[in-house]
Amino acid sequence: MMGEAIVVTSGKGGVGKTTSSANIGTALALLGNKVCMVDTDIGLRNLDVVMGLENRIVYDILDVANGSARLEQALIRDKRFENLSLLPAAQTKDKLALSEDSMRAIVKKLKELFDYIIIDCPAGIEHGFRVATTAADQAIVVTTPEQAAVRDADRVIGLLEKEDIPQPKLIINRIRAHMVKNGDMLDIDDIVQILSLDLLGVVPDDEQVIKAANSGEPTVVQPNSRASIAYRNIARRIVGESVPLMSLTEQEGFFSKFKKMMGMR
Amino acid sequence: MSRFAMRPSATTIKETVSIKGIRNGLLFTLRDDVPFRDVLSALEETLRKDASQGEETSLLTAYVQLGNRILTDEEERELRHVIAAVGTMMVGGLEGAPKPSDWMKKEPFVFKGTVRSGQVIEHDGDIVIIGDVNPGARLISTGDVYVMGVLRGAAHAGAAGDRDAVVAAAYFQPLQIRIADVVRRAPEGNVQAAEMEFAYLREGEQMAVERMNALIATKAHRRNRRVSGQGVS
Repeated sequence: MMGEAIVVTSGKGGVGKTTSSANIGTALALLGNKVCMVDTDIGLRNLDVVMGLENRIVYDILDVANGSARLEQALIRDKRFENLSLLPAAQTKDKLALSEDSMRAIVKKLKELFDYIIIDCPAGIEHGFRVATTAADQAIVVTTPEQAAVRDADRVIGLLEKEDIPQPKLIINRIRAHMVKNGDMLDIDDIVQILSLDLLGVVPDDEQVIKAANSGEPTVVQPNSRASIAYRNIARRIVGESVPLMSLTEQEGFFSKFKKMMGMR
Repeated sequence: MSRFAMRPSATTIKETVSIKGIRNGLLFTLRDDVPFRDVLSALEETLRKDASQGEETSLLTAYVQLGNRILTDEEERELRHVIAAVGTMMVGGLEGAPKPSDWMKKEPFVFKGTVRSGQVIEHDGDIVIIGDVNPGARLISTGDVYVMGVLRGAAHAGAAGDRDAVVAAAYFQPLQIRIADVVRRAPEGNVQAAEMEFAYLREGEQMAVERMNALIATKAHRRNRRVSGQGVS
């Protein structure tokens, strides 16, 4: 088996790299793929928290890198989704502790075991970024409809273009349809035009994402959340299906319906 | 009127009008110590003789060396009229032969693709971008900057001090423009990209932005002079 390593990056912090990694990884696993998520944010790990697997960490990626644990020992199998595993980051030490060489070696091994390796990249464009991207076959750039996030995404795309990987794909996260409509937010066309990348998906701003992350359960498991549908569509596009972008304008009607459902509960 | 009417005799051997072929046209040296009327009629005479001699079909650029003479607007108009009357001749300048810096044209640098945030393109000569220049990107050129896409970033033309340099873009929406040492930033707020515009220094001082067709009008003869002129004999 020869898997595909996909790095999820953004440049700017807080735009939803980890949330996107968790949801894309889970959605790919739900589609029947063997998926391993790798957290490379050494010193500031989050992916385990978002996935609710924090208490199961015994060994981490640094232990594997320096040989104090075998890769199989450090991998955490998610009990909810049998196809899904996590290779957690270390919370002690800092990003310099993981070298590009050992990252490449680890990802090479993982590619023999899994269909997809989702690499959650730390914010920034320094050493941690280089380590996370060094072994990637594909890159996904996450941005939000804010000038600063788009600016940083552009910077990161410029750096990725120098690597020997295909053109990165774009996810626009936390779109609010009514703000775009009023011109208070950058719209999708503007962002795509500036970044000139293929759009992999648009994820609406959804409170369910925050709720889910805090409960350690990725949003994609919820059947009705807008963000959940968006992430599942993204996963289907990654495996090669052609799925149209969902319309954002329906959002209000949907939300009120959704709220009613919640109220009835 | 000449300010040097009583010059030593050594210079009087000079012809009133002398013509010298330079590689990119003709250099007319007009004596500055005889009255303008005489110079003008001498020039007219020379040109008439010249025109009857052969069939010149290609357009010649005439450069005029005035010496110490200072022309009034009326005189300059008359002079230009006399030269333009030849038909195959256009006036390239009244400051003598073009300076080497004008004709020493450097190779332009052509970049195809998007220039992204954090990327810098620096070049001694013109820069041509076939693509967009995003915010946070910088172009630094000793010559002109041409963007065949959206210019959203910063561009510096004439970085070595050339005040004739321009910054032109198919979609003109720059964060900041510099020409030589003059800096201008984008107006506040969200401004729509203007189509086909360029920035230049008006009178070499104030930065101005105009439609691209004005670029052709203002820059054409200077540009053509550079292109045709490969050297002075």
